[in-house]
Amino acid sequence: MAVVSDAERTQAATARLAALEDDDFAAVADAGADNSDDDFLVDLGTDDEPELGESAPRKRRKSRGGGAAGRGPKRKTRAMLEAERRGPRTFAGLLEETESASLEEGGPPPPAYTAAAVGPQVGAATRRWCSVCGFAAPYRCVRCGSRFCTRKCYGVHTETRCLKFVG
Amino acid sequence: MHDGTCIVLDNGGANCKIGLAGQRQPLLVFPNATGKAKGERTVYVGDQLLEDRDLSSLALRRPLERGYLVNEEVERAVWGRAFKAVLPRGAPASDCGLLLTEPLLNLPAIQDSTAQMVFEDFGFASLLATPAPPLALAAWAAEAPAPACALNRAAAGLVVDAGFSFMHAAPVLGGRVLGGGVRRVNLGGKALTNYLKELVSYRSVNMMEETALVDAIKEAACFVSGDMAADLTAARAGGHRLEYVLPNGVTNLRGYVRQPGAPAPASAADTPEQVLVLGNERFMVPELAFRPSDIGVAQGGIAQAAAEAAAAVHPDLRPAMLANVIVVGGLARCPGFVARLQAELRPLVPDECEVAVHMPADPMLAAWQGGSQLAASPEYARRAVTRAEYEERGACFLAA
Repeated sequence: MAVVSDAERTQAATARLAALEDDDFAAVADAGADNSDDDFLVDLGTDDEPELGESAPRKRRKSRGGGAAGRGPKRKTRAMLEAERRGPRTFAGLLEETESASLEEGGPPPPAYTAAAVGPQVGAATRRWCSVCGFAAPYRCVRCGSRFCTRKCYGVHTETRCLKFVG
Repeated sequence: MHDGTCIVLDNGGANCKIGLAGQRQPLLVFPNATGKAKGERTVYVGDQLLEDRDLSSLALRRPLERGYLVNEEVERAVWGRAFKAVLPRGAPASDCGLLLTEPLLNLPAIQDSTAQMVFEDFGFASLLATPAPPLALAAWAAEAPAPACALNRAAAGLVVDAGFSFMHAAPVLGGRVLGGGVRRVNLGGKALTNYLKELVSYRSVNMMEETALVDAIKEAACFVSGDMAADLTAARAGGHRLEYVLPNGVTNLRGYVRQPGAPAPASAADTPEQVLVLGNERFMVPELAFRPSDIGVAQGGIAQAAAEAAAAVHPDLRPAMLANVIVVGGLARCPGFVARLQAELRPLVPDECEVAVHMPADPMLAAWQGGSQLAASPEYARRAVTRAEYEERGACFLAA
């Protein structure tokens, strides 16, 4: 009998939590090739091209450790535009960047972001809910570890979801 | 220093609230996003999303990720349109100040690029970037009738911000956030919407691409349970059942809640309507705000966040904080939220402290209203950074 390993279960649970923070933009972008990033941008119609000369000074400043004052905007090179197309800024990336900068000698203090997260639940046991109907679930699927409450819900679970998340 | 108008912008993860300093209500409240319907090339920006149009399969792109301004291109488009609409006719942005809310514990790199956007792309004369909790506390103190207690309500309080991207409990003293006491739950309205979307898509109708619609359903149908066990028993017996009529794209663009027993509309015969039936999802979804562990987030809920925040401040301040807990943010509007927070917070804090949870009249706009007061006061000129100062010193001042 195929059983989902603990590692795969953790991985699936993490992926599910990450999906809760997703915009539906990603799903649409995958569906059609014409949905490029640029489709979501609009031309503001301002005279000072807002798109150019924006991230160039930022990058330069960051590489010097945030101390340099702003200079005039600089035109982006083709390579920089390409780099930007490949990787948009993500919050996780920025957080990591700030943290690693603070580890270096003389860097800024570490961000309080991580320390501010609330600790684990205290004073109450974890509650288990049926993955099918949402009511209290005393049982656990032996193959994938999902919760279910009755024989009926277990039937639905095995037909629809069981082992699906590991492909 | 400028002496012209000042724009107040509460840049939330879900909605931008924008208006002019000194006014009581913002001029515009609109989604902080750009959206594109599937298969179309037209992009709707900010307030254009509010126009009466079919919401189906509208893909939103948000500039904020986990509450922090990450995608500047999108934000620039949204702000550009909003500033144009709000600025008095003929007044250039260079005569204007801007009061902008920033998330708690903002990263220096983000402050840097935000200031750059405000001064270099939009050319404002001055900028005051400030966290929202003190503003919300000030707004609530202003709207509350004569304080029943001797305590000055604007001076000290615990602001619980149950927002779209995350939930914060932040102790505020004398108009400043006590940084060491801030506690965050990594779940917000967005996660709840996505969770509801996942549940209904599995259980009844597939709505994985209908985030905007699910958001509307969540606001119309969800409530915070006061007694989980009783509500679950009732739900099993068919209580709490609610029918939501889904949009058909012709006569009904947003969908609506159908009251049980109400007669079907006359047109029902020729256009059969699709109905989504909700049961325990109605309270199991907002339940995550209090028990994130239900879906496997290794964190306590918002009540625990508030208790930890209160425990982190000086013991002498604790009673003042707990007697003045203010709930703001979109999730606070969920019926039952305040009562549940009060009930859950009580056993978590020392029993000699009085616990009182309050909600401003409009929890979503409270931060904006406080910002409007601040921007109209001389305090703004004292704290704001002018463009000249920015050009001289760069953006590093914002961290101070």
